[in-house]
Amino acid sequence: MPLLAKARSFLRNFFQFRRVEADLDQEVNAHLEMLIEEKVRAGMPLREAQRAARIELGGVEQVKEQVREARTGALLDSLLQDFRFAIRSLRRTPGLTAFVVVTLALGIGMTSGTFSMLDGLIFRPYPVPHPSGVVTLVSTTHDSPFENFSYREYLDIRDKTKSYDGVIAYAPMEAVGFSAEPGTTPRIKGGMMVSGNYLRVLGVEPRFGRSFRDDEDQAPGRDAVVVLGPEFWKREFASDSSVIGRKVRLNGTDFTVIGVAPDTFPGMSTFGHPDLYMPLAMARVFSTNIQKNFFEDRDDRELLVKARLKAGATLEQARNELAVMAKNFENEYPLINRSRGAKVYTQFQTRTIEDENWKFGVIFVILALAVLLVACTNVAGLLLSRSRARAREIAVRLALGAGRFRLIRLLLTESLILAFLGGLAGMAIGYGVIEWFHSKESIVFMTELPVAIPFHMDKRVLLACVALSVLSALLCGLAPALQSTRVDLVNALKSADVDVPGRKRLWGRNLLVVAQVSMSLMLLTASFLMARGFQHALLDGTGFTKDHLLMTSFDPRLIQYNATQTQQFYKLLAERMRQTAGVQSEALTQNIPFGIDDYTGVEFVPDGFQMPPDRANFTSTMDTVDEGYFETQGIPILRGRAFLPTDTADALRVAVVNEHFAKHYWSAGDAVGKHIRLDSSAGTQVEIVGVAQTIKNGSMDPPVDFVYIPLAQHPVARMVLMVRSSGDPLQLVQPIKDAVRALDPNMPMMQTRSYEEFYLNQAVRGPRIAIDLVGSMGLIGLLLTVAGLYGLVAYNVSRRTREIGIRMALGAASSDVLRLVMGKGLVLVGFGTVIGLAMGFALEQLMNSMLFDSGGVDILAYVAVVPTMFLVTMLATYLPARRASRIAPTQALRYE
Amino acid sequence: MSPEPESLLQGTLDLLILKSLIAGEMHGLGVSRRIQQITGGTFVVKPGSLFPALHRMEEEGWISAFWGESENNRRAKYYRLTKAGSKQLEVETERWGRITWAIGQALETS
Repeated sequence: MPLLAKARSFLRNFFQFRRVEADLDQEVNAHLEMLIEEKVRAGMPLREAQRAARIELGGVEQVKEQVREARTGALLDSLLQDFRFAIRSLRRTPGLTAFVVVTLALGIGMTSGTFSMLDGLIFRPYPVPHPSGVVTLVSTTHDSPFENFSYREYLDIRDKTKSYDGVIAYAPMEAVGFSAEPGTTPRIKGGMMVSGNYLRVLGVEPRFGRSFRDDEDQAPGRDAVVVLGPEFWKREFASDSSVIGRKVRLNGTDFTVIGVAPDTFPGMSTFGHPDLYMPLAMARVFSTNIQKNFFEDRDDRELLVKARLKAGATLEQARNELAVMAKNFENEYPLINRSRGAKVYTQFQTRTIEDENWKFGVIFVILALAVLLVACTNVAGLLLSRSRARAREIAVRLALGAGRFRLIRLLLTESLILAFLGGLAGMAIGYGVIEWFHSKESIVFMTELPVAIPFHMDKRVLLACVALSVLSALLCGLAPALQSTRVDLVNALKSADVDVPGRKRLWGRNLLVVAQVSMSLMLLTASFLMARGFQHALLDGTGFTKDHLLMTSFDPRLIQYNATQTQQFYKLLAERMRQTAGVQSEALTQNIPFGIDDYTGVEFVPDGFQMPPDRANFTSTMDTVDEGYFETQGIPILRGRAFLPTDTADALRVAVVNEHFAKHYWSAGDAVGKHIRLDSSAGTQVEIVGVAQTIKNGSMDPPVDFVYIPLAQHPVARMVLMVRSSGDPLQLVQPIKDAVRALDPNMPMMQTRSYEEFYLNQAVRGPRIAIDLVGSMGLIGLLLTVAGLYGLVAYNVSRRTREIGIRMALGAASSDVLRLVMGKGLVLVGFGTVIGLAMGFALEQLMNSMLFDSGGVDILAYVAVVPTMFLVTMLATYLPARRASRIAPTQALRYE
Repeated sequence: MSPEPESLLQGTLDLLILKSLIAGEMHGLGVSRRIQQITGGTFVVKPGSLFPALHRMEEEGWISAFWGESENNRRAKYYRLTKAGSKQLEVETERWGRITWAIGQALETS
């Protein structure tokens, strides 16, 4: 009951504020009247009675205030008062308020924008119920901490482990030829093969229709059913719910639509959002490795495995269990599982090991935080200056008995409001940053598959914005609030300008300048290093030709070609190309340099090489190419020969390796005539017939071992056709289309574009995104620093106008004044530079270890950045200093 | 000018207000005069203490307020004891008894 009464009065005090106030006013006034009457009745003259009553009452307003303080919710009330007051005083200085809000918005916006990147890449939980229970199971080797499992291995893990509520498997999203009606030319969609229990174990209920049944992935080829992704269903079927039961054609096989995944489940991977989910049992239609039997071969490792931890099972138990299992595999199948382990990763581990792009996110967030810090110090400096100007007001309040705490609270309320306005505007800027990222989507992903940049302005990022606002309010508001309430009352009340030039007072402000200069120096260094790092990576020489090339990809499986038909198609295609006018040369390759798909690996043992006891083989990157590849792609053969038409399937197995490989395994580098065995020392023998020049396969990739295998001896289904043109490569598009149509009118052509264009996107425009982002952060940091420094010196000048006037009247030359005013600023810049250099150096080490690995120190970066910094800050101090040196003494002495 | 009254001990104001309201409903000045009367003029409660206390006790639910007519037909705010208030008076009285007994004991021992 008392609690209820309290709540009621709280609400009344709060919402019927006016009535409560009117009541109080009447009550106190009536009291006064009654007092007077009482005294008049006692015989006092009216005027004297009025006076006595007022004295006895002690002031109507004071009594009312005392009652207000006793009321429930008085604290909130006074907070509201602070709020109103703060708004009033901020509106009095609109210019300053706007500047502060914009400054903070830049810092908060940059940070939230880059945080969304890091969140999307690492932290955002899987879009399933209880996402933290989902772990990833991987196979590991000496060379890789993240390998897939084969179907057989998956079945063993699923059936023999006890730590999980369910183990699921899925293949990476692949291009699937989709046609809604049979007979139409298939279009490329993103399809993913999943185990029958996939949706059930993840806890995803279909939007409608049904999920797969667990047994639907068991009989190879039996259950041709498909679940549609939510976006795909909306786009392709116009959200038609009668789609269930419809037949669609995937890679030439009819599938029945059984369900649609819900909107909440765009897929488990960070980037790809599958259009179609098919059961693993249909692998014959989709499997990428046509030389292996998906259902039987234990080394056909195409599956990613995830599992949901049982309640009560620890990660440790799961890890041990899987490690034992891997050991058993190794014992049972020594040939294909030698020195192969297995690990269980959490979501965080999975995301950080799988894809390295998050490292950019970390660097970006660090830099954005530096921008925010510069912004905060700038604002702190401004608030400090302002609170000095308000010193008198504050002194009066203190003298009238306002508590210091209350004043600090008031000042903090002001900076909180500023920070929230800044945060609000920062959300807009952060949104802009994210949108900017999205506008680069077509550069980042040059593919027809459904992939998207996973950065969103979601509630997690908004929450980060709010937290950043509060943090920056404290950062930029606390110090000024503490300092300005510690005034010397007597002095403050006596003069308008309270600056008793105390050393201590200026110390904090100097610190701000030093922090700013060092932060922005670090930012500039970082942007410079980023640009140089990418430039470096490219200047290293890519070692191949990019111009006058047209690329287009094929995957005959999309229209249900078998292996023989596929190879026949490629043979005919190459022949037709050579006959086409305008074509100088032609090549077929599984991968292209700087391509999107990962290179495949090859396991081998160099003949006559003593293997270490704990390894069965080495791994190298490989590519499958035809005999025209080296000429067309412009990769020089240093020794031996390129592939010839005589390297057929029945001929001796041959390979070309790159120079890196040759030097790696044969110290003299002369690999021609040497042999390697595939898979293990008992595998097929392959003769190395040539050594090609080492090329760069990606902008950030260091040179690696590389083995080229001829297409005729290693059939691959999906190949890229590269055509060298004499003129504009795009003019060859139509002739190629005609040639392909003549071979098979239904054959889809994917990714048809100029290779140079593709290369520029991958190697130049992609990195430009990072350089632009970091560069603009550096620029913002520099601008803010300049503004802060300028403000500080200008403020100092205005404060010392009289002093400068006196100096000049006594004979100081304007150069002396210039020195006096600038000297201080430059000393601070000097300190800031030294600290900034140290931080820049630390950041360079971090970037080297995370991104570029160029090693050493990039002296040029510092040579370029430091003078820039000095020049700009010099200007920022010079402008106000010059004004000071032109002060007319007569005017200055009359100042104020 | 009234003679300097004793300052009220912490916590006794509530007790005195509750006690004076036993006599029936009254307005602020009435409460003030009543306290003066029942304490033999020892305590004079100033409006600056009285009104905050009255409002606070109203929010606690010990007393309730309503608008009424004063002796001179003036609109005045009246207060009356609630059930919770009577109970609170017992509690406070008992507490006060203990305090005076304890202080008395303390002063008697030499």
